Amino acid sequence: MSDSSTKTHTVSVRLVKESPLKRYASAFAVPIGIVLLLIVGSILSDRFLTVGNLTNVIINMSIVGIIVVGMTFVFITRGMADLSVPATVAVGGILVLSLDQAIGTIPAAIVGVLVAGLAGVVNGLLIGYAKLNPVITTLATGIIVLGIAQAFVGGVIVYGDDTAAKEFINGRLFGVVPVIVLIFLVVVIAGHLVLSRTVYGRWTYAVGSNPDATEASAVPVRRVKAGAFVLTAALAGFSGVLLGISLQAARPAIGAGYEFDAITAVVVGGVSLLGGSGSIPRAIGGLLFVQLLTNIMVLQGVPSEPQGMVKGALIAGAIALDVWLRRKGGRE
Amino acid sequence: MNGLRRAFNSDTFLGLVRYRVLVILVLAVVISAIVAPSILEFRSISLSLDRIATTGLVAVGLTPVLIAGQLDLSGGAILALSGITAIGFQEQFGQLPAAALGIVVGILCGIVNAFLVVILRINSLVATLASMLFFRALSHTITDSRPISGIDPLFGLAVSRPIEGTFTLRTIIFVLIIVLLHVWLTRTVAGRNLFAVGSNPASAEASGIRSRVFVFGTFVFSGTMAGIAGVIQSLSVNTGSPVFGESTALLAIAAVVIGGTRLEGGRGSAIGTLGGLLVMATLTTVMEFKNVPAFIQDIVTGVILLLLILLDRFVSSKKGRDVSWTALLRSLHRRRQTPEIERTHAP
Amino acid sequence: MTAPAVLRMTGISKTFPGIKALTDVDLTVRAGEVHAIVGENGAGKSTLMKILSGLYQPDTGTIELDGRPVRISGPIDARRRGIGMVYQELNLVPDLSVEENIMLGATPRKAGFVDRKALRARATEVLAELGTRIEPSDIVGTLSVSQQQIVEIAKAYASSPRIIVLDEPTSALSELEAQALFRVIERMRSAGIAIIYISHRLREVIELADEVTVLRDGRLIETRSAEGITAADMIRLMVGRDLTDVFPKREVEIGDVVLEVDGLSRAGAFEDVSFTVRAGEIVGLAGFVGAGRTEVARAIFGLDRPDAGTIKVGGVERTIHAPRDGVAAKIAYVPEDRKRDGLVPELTVKDNISLAILDRISTAGWIRAGEEKKLARAKATELGVNPPVIERKVNTFSGGNQQKVVFAKWLATQPEVLILDEPTRGVDVGAKADIHTIVGELAAQGVAILMISSELPEVLAVSDRIVVLHEGRLTAVLDRGATEQDVMRAATGEVTA
Repeated sequence: MSDSSTKTHTVSVRLVKESPLKRYASAFAVPIGIVLLLIVGSILSDRFLTVGNLTNVIINMSIVGIIVVGMTFVFITRGMADLSVPATVAVGGILVLSLDQAIGTIPAAIVGVLVAGLAGVVNGLLIGYAKLNPVITTLATGIIVLGIAQAFVGGVIVYGDDTAAKEFINGRLFGVVPVIVLIFLVVVIAGHLVLSRTVYGRWTYAVGSNPDATEASAVPVRRVKAGAFVLTAALAGFSGVLLGISLQAARPAIGAGYEFDAITAVVVGGVSLLGGSGSIPRAIGGLLFVQLLTNIMVLQGVPSEPQGMVKGALIAGAIALDVWLRRKGGRE
Repeated sequence: MNGLRRAFNSDTFLGLVRYRVLVILVLAVVISAIVAPSILEFRSISLSLDRIATTGLVAVGLTPVLIAGQLDLSGGAILALSGITAIGFQEQFGQLPAAALGIVVGILCGIVNAFLVVILRINSLVATLASMLFFRALSHTITDSRPISGIDPLFGLAVSRPIEGTFTLRTIIFVLIIVLLHVWLTRTVAGRNLFAVGSNPASAEASGIRSRVFVFGTFVFSGTMAGIAGVIQSLSVNTGSPVFGESTALLAIAAVVIGGTRLEGGRGSAIGTLGGLLVMATLTTVMEFKNVPAFIQDIVTGVILLLLILLDRFVSSKKGRDVSWTALLRSLHRRRQTPEIERTHAP
Repeated sequence: MTAPAVLRMTGISKTFPGIKALTDVDLTVRAGEVHAIVGENGAGKSTLMKILSGLYQPDTGTIELDGRPVRISGPIDARRRGIGMVYQELNLVPDLSVEENIMLGATPRKAGFVDRKALRARATEVLAELGTRIEPSDIVGTLSVSQQQIVEIAKAYASSPRIIVLDEPTSALSELEAQALFRVIERMRSAGIAIIYISHRLREVIELADEVTVLRDGRLIETRSAEGITAADMIRLMVGRDLTDVFPKREVEIGDVVLEVDGLSRAGAFEDVSFTVRAGEIVGLAGFVGAGRTEVARAIFGLDRPDAGTIKVGGVERTIHAPRDGVAAKIAYVPEDRKRDGLVPELTVKDNISLAILDRISTAGWIRAGEEKKLARAKATELGVNPPVIERKVNTFSGGNQQKVVFAKWLATQPEVLILDEPTRGVDVGAKADIHTIVGELAAQGVAILMISSELPEVLAVSDRIVVLHEGRLTAVLDRGATEQDVMRAATGEVTA
């Protein structure tokens, strides 16, 4: 169709050049932020930069951290968010404590995770296969699952009495590394490896970035999307189990707020709501950032309530930044 | 199998789905009447309406937001914040001015949401999630996580006492606003344009409709309604508490969705929301009457919500079938005439 | 006694990077005239219309409305000036009624309220003038496609335009529905509106048009009265050119039948399509946009499910319900819309290339990273992706290179049947030649190739046989040596198999 007299104008119209600004800002924002916080924190309080304090920070973030791993998958696959986390956490905690006397703690833990995973399967089917809106669906299933969990225990607080397990979870390996942190690290590393090195992980990115092209490349798109929700539910259940064991008490409200903490962490870490990009290290970086910020505020004596305000402002700020960077980088 | 498919395709079934609010309401009332006959007494009805009035106000505010294709999760938090304001400033300014201030707080929160979504272009789910956290935390901060009391408990009774043995003031306000919204949505140019914005924003813009202004307005409206709800709620119990409205957001969304407003935007109705609220009111009343524990009630609500959005998804893939009253009547008439163009079903 | 010219476009040229879309094109349209614009895919018709609607600005040339030169700044400006566009993708709000859609943005109001009476009156008036019996109170989403199209036209008509442009209006309509549309067009013509009608259906053009303009390769070939014009005349004008881009055809030994399609049908898309492709053979699939070529391809690969018919690969009948089945049957499909269906923009070249074969280069779910890198690098070099940096995100490469990445992905699956859908669209000349060389190589290796292309010279130069579709039906299977005229005649339905 083109004849030899074609002249080409040099107008870059379809090439999307990755603006260096976006690339660097996006990669280094969080680590720089963490460093800044470390500096600011140590200035504001001598107790900040101590091993004891920092260890506390990491212990506190372990439970949420496990959930963050799942939530990252959900985000990357463009599943928006999983708001049924409070319910699945509660399921894990409640089941492990109600069943541990009957069948032992570890089997009870497994049951807890499995049942939570079941809730995730329901989410996955509704969202991945029936293509319902993830927000409303996970909200609704969360309520249902929580209700079932409460019905199961008659609406009261469940107590356990396995002090051995409690001490183990709350203790330290070789007297140094807190067990719970170890578990958290194992989950994080496993999650990262799955996301970055396995077929399923690659499919997750592809589905989130361009579901049509991925479908046309013979990838089981619906299964991948559903899987993210199953994973998140199971991980949330697992963290509920850990929580339950460590406290030996579980209220139905035990998981309240974890979904927001997880979402905040993921968003601050720069994982995009639109899917296709991000990673577990980033999400954990975001989590660390938020936890350090919270810690600084606690050390300064700021009561817990304004902390929530800061968190809310953080989410908004992080997303706005992401949107702005995307537009600068030429992507809508 | 084919028989089943034909059944699902029949006009009757689709008609039932389109009018499902009515159908469900009738079903709910019938079941309730069987299970707990006394609830059909007037006083019972008045009480259940009253109970649902607070959620109802939030739901009414949500309806245009959903029609415009957006989400607002911060209603409950705005409710709490406004209530706290209305009670907290009573000593300083007096009860009525403080109440007005509470409503202003609602408006301001709505503006914040609108700013996040329209100006900063943040996805409305995330934006209102963030603002919800923020407002809720603000409420906790201001009150130090403790409920605050107003000066005169009797003042609030005016709101929650049935007037002349009929409905409470609360109920009346709520029904009034729904009716006004319905009129706005069905009869004003702006209201009809909102559907265009939610359904096909590109074509709306191409027709000269300023979508962004509309979206901005819906968030402000939603915030205002949540503010009004919060003020009324707090006045009626003479308390402002940072934990008020925690489940309101979801219940309101459930009511709106049950009432037929789509999550994807472009379709909805205020009367539908009223229907959804009535359904929930009936169910709640019945369950309370039977001493069904709160968590079972939650399960029921959640299941109904899921079933309905599933149904919606399932049916919306059947285009080309008009089952409104007018069309049904016309099709009866038309069977005697030859159509100008063969109606083809969309592939 | 000719009516005054409503629109006069003179000397319009428009160039995009790498492509000269329009060169010095003139167009004059008069009131009450149906002026048809015909030409092959890519001849410049839609570019010309986009300039008229204000979406693009011409590089050179002038536009005059009613004798006055104007600059159309954008779609809303165009509408204000009386230019109504009716595209194939409808711009309606499905949940509002017909009358509301017609008057959207200009709804008659009384103190903020919808003036129902005025709205109904105006809508009824418009619908009556167009001679259609669609009810103003119908909800648009419940109407059939042809009815929706009429509503779209009514919407354009309601703003009292001077010019209405109809872009491929009948491509989704049946014969009966098209007749209804023609009645509407007739009404508009008698109302003195200038109508620009773009269509591939030459028979319609003959029936409707007063004037015909033929474009080819972005140039105006001829504008003449439609009086006495035949399809053959138009085809000759649309097509007659020197084949300057001839790509050498390798002599390849053609083997046994690999792909056998029999009686394939899909409601609304195509019907009773049967053909074969042999090993080493390149079968061109020709026809206009909307003839059903891509639909057939998608059905063979598994992206859509056919209603009837069989697909045999290597003599074995396969049930292909999803792309996974297609890949399992050793079929690969390089899609038409590479941005939507071909590439995952956020992933690197390497990741894109390996996307369809991840299960082959992994152990128990674990990707063998070294092997993946080697494979990707090999394929990228083999296809000439430039620069061969496989770790870069694929959306930073040019169109030609992106196409090569899509190729690489599918070649990595080692298919026996390769379906190419417009493989050189939007690709610069150099990459185009590369792709043709690659295709030739593949044929030499014994792959059976089915190639869809709207560029006749390409189809003729490269194919061993040509299957021509017209409105979902197979109208001809031509052997090598067929002329462009032969293909065109079959593509416009002049010839039926």
